[in-house]
Amino acid sequence: MTYEKLLFLIFALSTCGGALGVVLAQRVARMAFWLIVSLGSTAGLYFMLHADFVAATQIIIYVGGTLVLLIFGIMLTASGPHVNIQTSPGELVLGAGVGLMLLFLIQGTVRSVDWNQAAVVTSQGEFVPAEGQGYNPQGQGNTIRPLGMALLGLRPDKDLGAPEEAGLSSGYLFPFEIVSIHLLVVLVGASYLARAKRRAQASE
Amino acid sequence: MGLESYLLVGAVLFVSGVVCMATKRNGIGLLMGVELVLNGANVNFVAFSRFTSLGLDGQIVSLFVIVLAAAEAAVALSIALNFYNNHLTIDVDRGDELKG
Amino acid sequence: MDYQTTGETIKTLLTLAWLLPLLGFAVEIFAGYWQRDRLSKAAAQMAVGCIGLGFLFSSWALMTYVQATGWNERYEHESAHHKELVAAIEEGKPLPGHGHHEEGHGDGHHDDAHHEHEEGHHEEKHHDGEHKAEESEKQTAITPKDAALAQFAIADPIAAEKPDSEHAEHAEHGHEEHGHDHEEDAEAKHEGPAVFSGVYYRLAKFGDLEINIEYYIDTLTLVMFTMVTFIATCIHIFAMGYMSDELTDEYVDHEAHYANGKHVHRPGRFYKFFAFLSLFCFSMLGLVIAGNIFQVFVFWELVGVCSYFLIGFYVERKSASTAANKAFIMNRVGDFGFLIGLMAIWTTFGTFKFAEPDLAHADKPAGLFQMIRTPGGELDVDEEAGVVYLQDGHGGRLKNDEGLPASMPYWLLVVAGLGVFGGCIGKSAQFPLQTWLPDAMEGPTPVSALVHSATMVAAGVYLAGRFYPMFTPEVLLVIAYVGAITLFVAATIAMVVTDLKQVLAYSTISQLGYMMLGLGIFGWAAGLFHLVTHAFFKSLLFLCSGSVIAACHHEQEMPKMGGLIRKLPITGSAMLVGVIAIAGLSVPGVSFGVIGYILLILGLLFALFDIYKRERTKLPLVATLVVVGLMLSYTGLANAKAAFSGFHSKDAIVATALTYFKMNPAHLLLFILPLITAGLTAFYMFRLWFYTFLGKPRDEHLYDHCHESPLVMTGPLVALSVLAAICAVGGEGGKLFVMLSESAPAMTHAVMAGVGSTVSLNLPGHIDVLTNHSSAGNLATIAAVTGTLIAFVIYGLGLINPADIKSSLKGVHSYLSHKWYFDELYDTMFMKPAHIVARFCAAIDKYVFDAFLHWLSRATLWISKWDRLFDEKFVDGLVNLLGAATFRVGGSFRKLQTGQLRQYVMFIAVAVVTLSVVLFVWFPH
Repeated sequence: MTYEKLLFLIFALSTCGGALGVVLAQRVARMAFWLIVSLGSTAGLYFMLHADFVAATQIIIYVGGTLVLLIFGIMLTASGPHVNIQTSPGELVLGAGVGLMLLFLIQGTVRSVDWNQAAVVTSQGEFVPAEGQGYNPQGQGNTIRPLGMALLGLRPDKDLGAPEEAGLSSGYLFPFEIVSIHLLVVLVGASYLARAKRRAQASE
Repeated sequence: MGLESYLLVGAVLFVSGVVCMATKRNGIGLLMGVELVLNGANVNFVAFSRFTSLGLDGQIVSLFVIVLAAAEAAVALSIALNFYNNHLTIDVDRGDELKG
Repeated sequence: MDYQTTGETIKTLLTLAWLLPLLGFAVEIFAGYWQRDRLSKAAAQMAVGCIGLGFLFSSWALMTYVQATGWNERYEHESAHHKELVAAIEEGKPLPGHGHHEEGHGDGHHDDAHHEHEEGHHEEKHHDGEHKAEESEKQTAITPKDAALAQFAIADPIAAEKPDSEHAEHAEHGHEEHGHDHEEDAEAKHEGPAVFSGVYYRLAKFGDLEINIEYYIDTLTLVMFTMVTFIATCIHIFAMGYMSDELTDEYVDHEAHYANGKHVHRPGRFYKFFAFLSLFCFSMLGLVIAGNIFQVFVFWELVGVCSYFLIGFYVERKSASTAANKAFIMNRVGDFGFLIGLMAIWTTFGTFKFAEPDLAHADKPAGLFQMIRTPGGELDVDEEAGVVYLQDGHGGRLKNDEGLPASMPYWLLVVAGLGVFGGCIGKSAQFPLQTWLPDAMEGPTPVSALVHSATMVAAGVYLAGRFYPMFTPEVLLVIAYVGAITLFVAATIAMVVTDLKQVLAYSTISQLGYMMLGLGIFGWAAGLFHLVTHAFFKSLLFLCSGSVIAACHHEQEMPKMGGLIRKLPITGSAMLVGVIAIAGLSVPGVSFGVIGYILLILGLLFALFDIYKRERTKLPLVATLVVVGLMLSYTGLANAKAAFSGFHSKDAIVATALTYFKMNPAHLLLFILPLITAGLTAFYMFRLWFYTFLGKPRDEHLYDHCHESPLVMTGPLVALSVLAAICAVGGEGGKLFVMLSESAPAMTHAVMAGVGSTVSLNLPGHIDVLTNHSSAGNLATIAAVTGTLIAFVIYGLGLINPADIKSSLKGVHSYLSHKWYFDELYDTMFMKPAHIVARFCAAIDKYVFDAFLHWLSRATLWISKWDRLFDEKFVDGLVNLLGAATFRVGGSFRKLQTGQLRQYVMFIAVAVVTLSVVLFVWFPH
């Protein structure tokens, strides 16, 4: 067993365990804790996939941002101690059953696909096997620079190799801008929604 | 480790998220299920990025997903706050005014 | 001036005279419409100005004609010639059948005179004969002079059948003699009778067929223009006074009532009246100047519509609007014939043009008259084939496209002639269609004057005269009989009616009958002569009656008048002149000069009487007598026969009628009727005058309130009475007659014996008429004097009570006062059948078509009821069922929507799993 495999097992298990913890935990605060575990471990998996920037973003935004928001939410909406909003055991069993069936379905689907045959065909018509075509940061350095350039509309990771053959690949400048606006609108909207109650009261 | 291992992890995350959404009565818990589903998808994207010709695009898409998840969380949280203000509880089973 | 310039000048002048009233109409109708109040006399002044200028232009044109064509010399010659003839006849007393040697004497005598004339004038007047020969295509080709000469030579009607060799020789002689003169002097002064014709504007062209606005000017046109414009001017001026009660913003019509019995109040229509008068004059002048029969028809209808407007001027009165309708519809009946005639002409000749005077110079197609008549005025009839060969106007037969002589069926020519004459019957109120004219008295009196003298009714006679060459002998016979019947019928009715204007209306019909009779018995010039003289005295009579009516506050019943001469001296005297004129009285063997002396002596006596009584009451009378006496004694009139215009013209007709009767003994009526009617005319006209102006006032109130009309009304009366008295001075040797007979169609110059394909007629010539003139004149005068005396005895002296006569002749009187039951006859003949047919049609409509429609609608209703049931029960039921089912299904699905968020998630998951399982099970690959 290599280190890589070991690390993968650790991260995979903690990810799945965290997820199950979220499902099984009966209290919201604990669910949040298990979620942190799960998301954090996912970041570890990203590192193992050589996606260092994504992993960092995962930690910063998910663990550092979203989860903080969720915890704020938990605190702001905490019910009284006697209010029971627990799930009934029947539902849990039903959910578990359906979930298992879904899992088997997905796993069956994954298994039924020959991933090596998910090949690409170059512009010259050559057939290239899918295996080993992925992004290889070991040969190309870390991912921050190519990601940043891709978000600015440049694709050196694809175009530098054979510019005359491939032509220019599509960058992500436009989606990036859209997402920027989107975020802004979302923030405005969120703050508006959060304020609505007080305004309604003021108007009454 | 190969692609399928990562896909399995992603599947587990996804199914956990779905079950979480289907069972949790707490609105915040429901949100957490959504996060788990998104995260499962992200794992898949990054894994495809590593092992298939999808390349860097997979990572970029996962970045967008993360960003959108954050936005969604913000909006969902404000909805949850409103829901709480209106119903004085976070129990989503109480929000059935639109039932047929 | 040469022919061209003369023609242009005359044309321009007459065109101006024609169009001025149209301009006046436009200005008056629009300005009148927009003016603020109804008090302005501007419209009347405008109208008078236009028509007065028209009169000036017309007279100018007449003068131009006289100057340019050397008419005065022709007149002198003609007049002298006439006198010689009369003298010869009186001296030799030729009687038909045994006057040979006297005629021979007269012949030689005249022949000399003629040659003298020819030579005397030849050098200075160039190609008199040549011109005539060259223009032999024209209607005027053979002057009356030549014709009369020829007639004289062969006055024996039996000899008239043979070709006139002497005349032909003479004409040839003249031609040869003067031919070279013409060549030497191409720019010769135009002498002799002339006709001018041309095109103003081409309206349409269909291949070779053209419809033009043309003019055709001969002496008839000129005389008519002058006459119409003069009379119209007088009437316009008179109307300024007569219609002045319309000069108000609120006119109360005492003879028209609303449904509630109140009098009609309306704005005054002064300007409208004058606008229509102007339009009327324009139409009539257009009719007279028209150069083709189609244009005549257009203006014919315009005249009709103007009379419609004017007769119905008091449109609020039921009687007036009915009368206008009647006039219009009766005219339509006649115009139907006119249209048939037009169609026959158009299809046969392909042209509407009367004649082309310039035929020799210009390469123009011949006109109607030139096509139908040879230059000598004869019809080129093929008796066996029953066709008439058309002429090319140059003495040959017209060739059609195949080079064969063009011809038309004789019967078609008769139909065309009768058709056009049908129009004349309607317009001139002749026998079957005469009933509209008395009703037309509903219009204002100036309108009656205009309609009855110069315009409307004159149009019919004018057209009959203008269209004369197209009439075959058969048609002429029909015209003569229509005229004879009309004149007698109308005169008998005129004897019994008591309405002032009605008497005049029937006398108009009667006189129009005289004109038609004159035309029909080949007295072309006599008929038109009577038209002109009648226009003067009839307009005078109508204006006088208008003056009387205005003075009597619109009282028209003669039995209420009487003794008005003391109140209305001017009107009464003027009317007396008119009455004498129309009655045809004359003093045999006395000239105007003698009458003038008698008047002077009378004036002197009155003056002495005044001086003796030391007062001046008779001063106006004395002055009038002196002025008139001086005028009669010391002017050109002094030697003329002492008779007014009506005597001369009626005399001409009666003389022609006598001749006609002598030559065609079968047609006795054509002489007897006019002779009797001459007496009747005198009777009823004097009855009118005595009734109105003499005797004791029968209605004191009326008498006390009546007063002489103002100068604006009496002025025209005086002017017209002068002309009515003297316009025909000289009779058939007088200026008017000579002027008119210059335009006489060539056919009237030749005696035509045994002509006509279906009837055998001998048509009289000028000389024949002259030989019978004195006896006819004496007979007519005796008749007129008898009539006058009877009227004087009954109405003037009151020796016999008219009521006694009335009661003893009750049947006759009621027959006459019902106007020979013409209205009742037409009512039975046309109205009743029309009503029956209409009722029948209405019944069919009601019981067949309506019943069918009603049945149809009921069926539709029944079907739609069932359709509605089907819709409601079946179609709606189906749709409702579907809706209800959908609603129920929706309701059951609704239960799925629990509102539970978590359940939805579970559904999705379960659905995904289930779908996948299903897919994997059913589609393993």
